Amino acid sequence: MNEILGMFQGLVNGFGIAFSLINLTFALLGALLGTIVGILPGLGPAATISLLLPLSFKIGSPVTSIIMMAGIFYGAMYGGSTTSVLVNIPGEAASVVTCIDGYQMALKGRAGPALGIAAIGSFIAGTIGVIGLTFVAPPLAEFALRFGPPEYFALTLLGLLMATLLGGTSIVKGLIMVVLGLLLGSVGLDPISGAIRFTWGFFMLQEGVDFVTLAMGMFGIGEILINLEKELSTELVTRKITHLWPTLKDWAESKWAILRGSFIGFFIGILPGGGAVISSLVSYAVEKKVSKHPEEFGKGAIQGVAGPESANNAAASTSFIPLLTLGIPGNAAIAMIFAALLIQGVQPGPFLITEHPDVFWGVVASMYIGNVMLLILNLPMVGMWVQLLRVPYAILAPIIVLFCCIGVYSIRNTVFDIWVMGIFGVIGYFFRKVEMEPGPLILAFVLGPILERSLRQALLISAGSPFIFFTRPISGAMMGFLILFIVIKVFAALRGRWTKAI
Amino acid sequence: MGRLKHPGPGFLPFGLAIVLILFSLILIFSSRPEKKIASAPFWPHRAWLRPLLGVVILIFFALVVEWVGFLFTTFIFLVVWMGVIERVRWLTIISVSIGTTAALYLIFGLFLDVPLPLGFLKW
Repeated sequence: MNEILGMFQGLVNGFGIAFSLINLTFALLGALLGTIVGILPGLGPAATISLLLPLSFKIGSPVTSIIMMAGIFYGAMYGGSTTSVLVNIPGEAASVVTCIDGYQMALKGRAGPALGIAAIGSFIAGTIGVIGLTFVAPPLAEFALRFGPPEYFALTLLGLLMATLLGGTSIVKGLIMVVLGLLLGSVGLDPISGAIRFTWGFFMLQEGVDFVTLAMGMFGIGEILINLEKELSTELVTRKITHLWPTLKDWAESKWAILRGSFIGFFIGILPGGGAVISSLVSYAVEKKVSKHPEEFGKGAIQGVAGPESANNAAASTSFIPLLTLGIPGNAAIAMIFAALLIQGVQPGPFLITEHPDVFWGVVASMYIGNVMLLILNLPMVGMWVQLLRVPYAILAPIIVLFCCIGVYSIRNTVFDIWVMGIFGVIGYFFRKVEMEPGPLILAFVLGPILERSLRQALLISAGSPFIFFTRPISGAMMGFLILFIVIKVFAALRGRWTKAI
Repeated sequence: MGRLKHPGPGFLPFGLAIVLILFSLILIFSSRPEKKIASAPFWPHRAWLRPLLGVVILIFFALVVEWVGFLFTTFIFLVVWMGVIERVRWLTIISVSIGTTAALYLIFGLFLDVPLPLGFLKW
């Protein structure tokens, strides 16, 4: 009972923080930026947050900057559907499946209801997600206090492998990206003995590869370079968007889809390695399965919009749970927020809620407010944002690249970092060329130090016996789950065509 | 390197390197040669040109920004990018370039206090 009272007390304090003028301003700024990058194809939330990382400690207190970055992340989930429906290009990755039925609806002159139900579903699911975050995170953090190095190792490994196995097309390519990310993360001083590793004589590399530089290169520059290859044409189906408010019939058809999507997103968001993208895919598949008219899907079924759009918002909110309670980010965008917390001197993990209650409760409370802001931004004002699609990529691209250059320069005031970023940009470009998504690499880079420290500490505790990961109950359960998952995956791969699975 | 009992700085990197070799071998041997023939060329019809130009402009920026200064380099960067890689109308190019340069200077130079390189402007 006391604990629940404590949560409400925390939430009330959080609203006190979130309602201060500066935090409201930055929540709105985050929601606006999120909507904009969600709408603009070729620029995702992960890339945008990476662009803002150099500014993060100049914005002000940790709460304020995380409030804004969180707003960008879940705001992009709102905006993404707009482009999917009107242009048939996903505004960002979690809205890929929305194209299927959303665009069909728009072709039939029902763009308004599609956008309306997406926004309402997003709002309901986002709020359910934040309620989950409010009440699941504190007990989970308390539970995680019992975790020692073996548990952290098992959990990190689980998160990394799940993110790779669940997302992406090729498992082997994803795993290679994970290993490369871990290796990149080991550049610089060894966290335990202080030995210098892989600096190749560059003094600047002794502190390790800078996360912001890597992220901006891989996500910012790499993304721009690959987009230069193709002409992104953003032809709108319709300029006039009417009947945004869904009819009773639309609502009756989609209310269960919204609820199902909310819960799918809720649980997939909490999973290590889960996230908005996967949850939208799962929700679409589920909606198609439970529907009495599965043949409608692909021809403009409103459930095909309502479900996935709800799921990605719920997942966006709940994917803050593993970040804020365990210190284990589940996807690339959350990894950026992890880095932002570290830049601000806030260590994400089980101690965050008790040591920085203002950060935790302030951010959580701001997410309730942010969802209301986004509903207003995306329902009555959607017509205004659509105009953004007329800004050609030709103008946007050089501005983004410049923003990267100056941003990366501003961290240490050295041109060396621009070179490093450029090199990572070119590498990121080639990775995308050969269909190796940089997401797992970034995640592995962030998790690398945690993984290494926990592995070596665990082995020191056990005097070199790797069985320590299996004999302790919590880590044993996680390792068991991991092995089970791999066995199922390999079995499925062997049953299907071997090459297809790889 | 160390041993299992006392894992040293090279412990994890060494293990990772082995895993990397393993995965790379799987990837090489699982891609069948006959698939190659049907697949599209790596760069269809001069698709490499625009990304390459982008990189060249980026290198130019990194090379000269400290000598020429932030304001001019940024302006030139924008003009060249929009004029050479893309074919934007000249009026748009000039106005966007001036506007962006000013905005970036305001955000980073004045608002965030970043010591932007002045180049030969520092008299």
